[in-house]
Parts: sequence; structure tokens; C-alpha cells
Amino acid sequence: MNTPRTRMIAAGAFAATAVLGLAACGDKADDKGGASNEIAVTATDSECKLDKTQLSTGNYTFVVENKGAQVTEFYIYGENDVIVGEVENVAPGLTRKLSVPLKSGTFQGTCKPGMVGDGIRTPITVTGDDAVAADDAELSAAVATYKTYVATQADELVKLTEQFTTAVKKGDLDEAKRLYPLAREPWERIEPVAEIFGDLDPLIDGREADLAQGQEFTGFHKLEKDLWIGKDIKDSGPIADRLIADVKTIAEKAKGAELSAAQVGNGAKELLDEVAATKMTGEEDVFSHTDLWDINANVSGAQQAIEALRPVLAKRDAAFLGTLDTAFKTVNDTLAKYKSGDGWKLHNELTQTELKELSDVVNALAEPLSHVGAKVLPTQ
Amino acid sequence: MPNLGIYLIGLREGLEATLVVSILVAFVVKAGRRDRLPLIWAGVGAAVALSVLFGGLLTYTETTLLKDPADRELFEAITSVLAVVFVTWMIFWMRKVSRKLKGELTAKLAEAITVGGFAVLLMAFLSVVREGIETSLIFYAAAANESGLGPLWALTGGLVTSIVIGVLLYLGAVRVNLGKFFTWTGAILVFVAGGIFKYGVHDFQEAGVLPGLHTHAFDITSWFKPTEWYAELVRGLLNFTPQPTVLETIAWAAYIVPVLLFFLWPAEKTAPKPVASDATPAKETV
Repeated sequence: MNTPRTRMIAAGAFAATAVLGLAACGDKADDKGGASNEIAVTATDSECKLDKTQLSTGNYTFVVENKGAQVTEFYIYGENDVIVGEVENVAPGLTRKLSVPLKSGTFQGTCKPGMVGDGIRTPITVTGDDAVAADDAELSAAVATYKTYVATQADELVKLTEQFTTAVKKGDLDEAKRLYPLAREPWERIEPVAEIFGDLDPLIDGREADLAQGQEFTGFHKLEKDLWIGKDIKDSGPIADRLIADVKTIAEKAKGAELSAAQVGNGAKELLDEVAATKMTGEEDVFSHTDLWDINANVSGAQQAIEALRPVLAKRDAAFLGTLDTAFKTVNDTLAKYKSGDGWKLHNELTQTELKELSDVVNALAEPLSHVGAKVLPTQ
Repeated sequence: MPNLGIYLIGLREGLEATLVVSILVAFVVKAGRRDRLPLIWAGVGAAVALSVLFGGLLTYTETTLLKDPADRELFEAITSVLAVVFVTWMIFWMRKVSRKLKGELTAKLAEAITVGGFAVLLMAFLSVVREGIETSLIFYAAAANESGLGPLWALTGGLVTSIVIGVLLYLGAVRVNLGKFFTWTGAILVFVAGGIFKYGVHDFQEAGVLPGLHTHAFDITSWFKPTEWYAELVRGLLNFTPQPTVLETIAWAAYIVPVLLFFLWPAEKTAPKPVASDATPAKETV
């Protein structure tokens, strides 16, 4: 029944819900792109000074400091004195903020000391593309999609590497050889992100031929050599331990990496460059000849990057996106010829003609991919 | 006197809230329904908590909710118009009660009126919250002032003064006899509600929802300075501003004239016509 007590409880619940609901709204604050640019406004009884009046489109926070003796107000007027933003009740000595998104056009930053009249006006010119905000939201969404992919691949990398190093430590030569190319796949899909953390990449994936003077040979390729050349992994335990430790570290870092859309696009290109530079020649997995696992992983990683960027690319250059799609299809079709069971043919099983054909289609994809980064820059 | 300005802002913003609340409290007490008081305080408390929280979020976080000042104008406009609806309802209610008083014993009054609990809560909430966020933003700005706490004390002083005025109003109101109380506070409320309505329309104009922000009905700012104490006081009490737009002035008049006429029209003479007490439902249960 509606006794005063139950109504009180209802009232309290209402208030609590409102407060909690709003507190929750405050939390999501930081996910809405970048800090806004601050513009200092110094208002006195006779002046209205803005420290910047030539702006590019975007979000701005006017920090209005009243150094006068009278209560003032600060307005941003647009065409025909439409109020774009305002902050009232700026008492003497106070600093109050006004946050507004500004599109291109001419505005009037206006102080109204004493809260009367037309105010003291300072023209503001805003130039730039009005579509920026919407576009940037799409870029952020693309990056978020790609980061989700990186996170799943990072988890996969840790899982498979753990299986691989466990087999190595158990001395199970055949199992370790079977797992070696599989553990490398997630690595090869997201390698450009891993390369951001420069010091770990050579420890995990450094090739013997690339070692600097005095540098220790560690990581995947050391174990590869032990497995295929030495055929003895009795002493490989420490290297295996170190590999899984490094992989875990880099997986965590990769998951937290901040990326831009351009980095995602350039990463796709780097993956294809990897293919052309070392894998087509068989240098990458020189002992095991499992280069095609790597090549396929590189291509699929690049394809995921383009998938993440697809909405942006479709809007900005649909024809270009079509070119990419065709080139990806050609590469995948060509690769498919060398499937063998669950995996791939070994590098040394392919003829020179076959390698040449594969190399050509990869290069045909790498060329348009090299333009992706530039096409997904913020419009500002 | 650099801090007089902020004192007056505190007084004005405070009065806009305390005026309705103190009349509401007086009304509930007069009607013998003190059991409704906790609901009023719950409404006020919720509004204050919400305002303080929101002011903090806007000042110290990157929250996007209500960050756009136009959204805040819209919030104030909507809560103001809602407040007017509730206050108007209260005005008519008072009128009906004052009519009943003629024939009935005061002791029966408490039974005669059922004061809607949720309506009371919501009215108190709306009266305080509509200016609450702006007030709390000023408060945070004053607290952040680097050159001393003068502005903060001045603002607090203004708010406290408004509460004192509200208490005095209440004390005066509870002392007069019931018939007078309903007539006078009702009449005052008509002007207060008209002021809130005018304010709401102005905020709709500032938010860009209604046109004509720069079409002024008159401009007496040359001699009626809006920063003077008397100007801030009448703005706090009645929302009178020296440079109103045509639209808000029309809205003000369109509210005040019919509501006041209806409120003050002698009941006896018009009793047979449906204009009078029939216009409000016989029983108020909310």
C-alpha cells in the first residue's frame, strides 16, 4: 500500500537510481576520442581576449577567466547570432569552461560584462572539413575491430607456443616439429603489432643469419634449428622457457597497444613485405622449410586489417577497395594450389616457376596495399 | 566588492529553488499533512545530490552527457516547464481548498485534501534540479579559484541567504490564517510559475528549439542593471529580466493573465458556470 514509509523507500530508490545511472554515464567519458583543444579567454570589463582565433574544425573548450569587476557571460555566436555555446554566471575571479564542437565558418567569441548589450566580440574563423568528426569515429571503430583481432591472435599465440615449448621440453621431437609451424601462425598474422615492441621481436623471431655480433641465438628459429638440423632437443629447455616467457610478455603488450588506423593499414603492407623479402626465398624457415605456413598467415593477417578498415575504405575509395579484394583473391587462389593435408607443401617442394608465380601475385597485392595507410589518415 | 556579484548569483539561483519549496512546505504543514514533509526533503535531497554529482562529473571528467551547453539549456527548459505544470496544478488545488474553507471547519481540512505524495516529491525535485546543475558548476568553479576562497564563501553566503528568505517566507505563511494563506501564496505562486514558464521559454530559445532569441520585447538595461542586487533579487523571485524576448514575454502574459483571473475570480458569483471549481477534478489523488 501507499503508506508514507513505502513511498519514502520508493523516493529513495528513485533518487539512488538516478544518481547511479548518471555516475555510470560519467564513466564512459574517456572512450570518446581525444582531448579537446583548450582556448584561453580572458574577459575583463572592457576586453574579451582569445588566445587563438584561427581554428580548424573540431572540439574546443573555451576556458573563460573573468578578470573584470563585473559578472560576465561568454557566448559563441554563429551566423545571425545563433548561439553555438554559452556559459553564464562567470563571476569576477572565476574560471568557467565552455565545450563546443565547431564546424567550419565564422563565429563571434563574445563576452558580456554586466550581462548586458551585444557584448565585446572577437571573430573566430574555423576552417576544415565538417565530416571530420563522423569519419574519425569510423576510424576509431576500425581500429577497435582490429584490436579485437590482435587480442584473439595474441591469446592463440600464447596457447600454441605453450604446447610447442612443452613438447620441446618433453623431448617429443615429432610433436614439436608438428607444432612449430602452427605456433608461428598467430605470430605471423599480427607481427607488425609485435614489431612495435622492438626489443622482443628479435629474441622471439630472430634469424640466425641476421644476428648481430655477439648476440645470442634464441627463439623460434633456434628451436627450429635444434629440431631439424641438430635433431636433438635435450638441451633446448632453457631456450623454450625463454621463448614462452617472451611470447607471453609480447602478447600482453600487443593486446594493450594503441594503434592508429594508418598503423593498421601500414601493418598490412609490412606483412606482405615480409612475404616478399624472406619467405619467398625460403630464408625465414631455412631449416624446416615451413615458409608457406608463414606466408598464408601473413596474407590472412593483412586481410583482417583490410576487413577492419573496410567501412572507411568503402566510403573513401570504393574502386581501390575492389582492387584490393581482387588481389587478395588471386593470392589466396594461388596459395590454395599448395595445400597439403591440414597444412602446406614445404618451400623446397615448390618449383622455381611455381615460386615465381606466387611471388608475382604477392607483389601485385603488395603494391595497392602500400597505399592503404595514406587512405585511412584522419581528414585533418 | 568583487565578490558581491557571485553572492547575488548564489542568492538568485538559490531563490529560484527555495521559493517553491518553502511554499510547498508551508502548504503541506497548513493542510495538516506533515507526513508529506519527508517526501519533500527526499525530492530536494535527490535534486541536490544529482546536481552535485553532475557538476563534479562535468568539471572533473570528460563526460559527454550534458557537456554541450545547449543540452543543459534544454534540460533546464524541460524541467522548468514540468515544474510549471506541477505548480499550476498546486495553484488550482489551493483555489479549491480555499473555496471549501468557507463552509467547512479547519479541522476537517486534513481529511478533505489528499496531498499527492509523488506529485509533492516530484515538484520539490524539479524546483531544485532545474537550476541545480548550473549552480553546482558555479560552485565547483568557485572552489577551483586560485586567488582565494572569497568567491566560494560569497556564493555559499548567497545560497544561505536564499534559504533564510525561504524560511522567513514559510514562517510568515504559516502564521496567517488559512483563507489568507491560500489566497496569497496562491497568487504569489501564479507569478513565480509565470516566471519559471518565461524562463523555460527563454531556455528553449537559447537551446535553438524556439526562434526569436534576439527579438526583444523591451530593453531597460540602460537603467535597470542586471547585476544590481535588486535586479538579481527580482530575477530570482519572479524571473523578471530587463531585456526579455518577445516570445518569452508573450508566454509570461499568456500564463499569468488567465491563471490569475481564474484563481482570483469570486467563486460565489460564477458558481453555476462550469468555469470555477469544476475545472479541477473533485478529488486529488495522485
